[in-house]
Amino acid sequence: MTAGHPVRFSRSSLRRALFGAVLLAAFSSSAAAYTVTLDPAAPTTIYLQVGVGGFTADYCGGTSFPPPHDTPNCGPAYGGGTPENNATINTVSATVASGTVGNGTAQAMTTNSTTTNSYLDGYVFCTVPSQLYIGGFYRTSGATTAAANVTATVPAALTDAGGDKIPFSKIQWTSSGNGDSGAEPFPAGTFVSGGVQTVGSMASNSWNESCLTFSYLNNTVPPAGTYLGAVLYTMSAP
Amino acid sequence: MTTAGRAAWAFFFALTLTIIRAPAVQANTITIDDSGTTAFEPSVSMRWRTAAPSRSAAGNVMVGTTTIRVRINVMPWLRHSGRIYLSLPAQQPGTISLSWVTQGRLLPGQLQSGNRVLVYAGPITTPFMEDTLTFQFTVDGTLMRRAVPVAYHFEMDEG
Repeated sequence: MTAGHPVRFSRSSLRRALFGAVLLAAFSSSAAAYTVTLDPAAPTTIYLQVGVGGFTADYCGGTSFPPPHDTPNCGPAYGGGTPENNATINTVSATVASGTVGNGTAQAMTTNSTTTNSYLDGYVFCTVPSQLYIGGFYRTSGATTAAANVTATVPAALTDAGGDKIPFSKIQWTSSGNGDSGAEPFPAGTFVSGGVQTVGSMASNSWNESCLTFSYLNNTVPPAGTYLGAVLYTMSAP
Repeated sequence: MTTAGRAAWAFFFALTLTIIRAPAVQANTITIDDSGTTAFEPSVSMRWRTAAPSRSAAGNVMVGTTTIRVRINVMPWLRHSGRIYLSLPAQQPGTISLSWVTQGRLLPGQLQSGNRVLVYAGPITTPFMEDTLTFQFTVDGTLMRRAVPVAYHFEMDEG
């Protein structure tokens, strides 16, 4: 097109204009934001401790409370501990004096567990030998909220060498913890003889712990003897 | 021209000046074509910062790291000076913290969603700018219910 000619678009110049517009549109769309996908992919993990547990050190480091680090700075990268297996089986026992057997006065039971401090931050949470520590956590892969159940598999009875029995339902417990108020994750209860019962629930992605104080109801008169029985605690996550 | 007419003309002139001047005051910000950018991983695996949680669900954060080969087209600003920003708009799932390290072509930094940070200031001497950035995203774990897309872009301040 030369100067002086009337302004008009030929078919070819229109095609070039359209092509230019298409090119511009394509260039414009390529400047869109870059997108990455954040995918919650943490491994699901559980930890249950009844009595003594297994951590290489307090998870948040140290043995003082408040912890020297904020919680986000806990863990191995900050010198904190890592969970371990501990095969120890702790006992809870009571010796009833002959003059009080069966008098209906509950007898306090004591544990051989030495655990007083929470492995989270070293906080002195339980008192021994009167209390048994129970605690742990359930990590989901992301923000999914779900509870992990803790059950107790309870035999029908404690037995002595002569085959005499005391029903497990004669043992009960209360639940507390230093500084705690409100509901405990492992509430008070009484064993159900010969069954599997739920003894607690762990909210996901939080540390759950309680201190259990056991007692023997002492409202029957069994033959003299040493009565033994084992309760198995199991944690189940969905 | 009457007094009223003079006043009207002065007002119109002032308004015109204002309208003309306004674009010159603000820097023109343009999103940079980053279509040449590639990611080394298809997605960012978000993990809990700590293996064990705190006593409450609050304060539990997830972190994820990914490496991205950034290639931005700065040809339109070739042989000019420019200021390039990394911008992370406010978006779902909520507040996102982003930090990154670079290989040296761009500046390292950190920001929270809803903000931008300068990653380059100076002359544009090549049609494309390339660098490998290692991004670390940090998000409140209670927000990470499912995989979520997160968008960011580079933008140029002209002028």
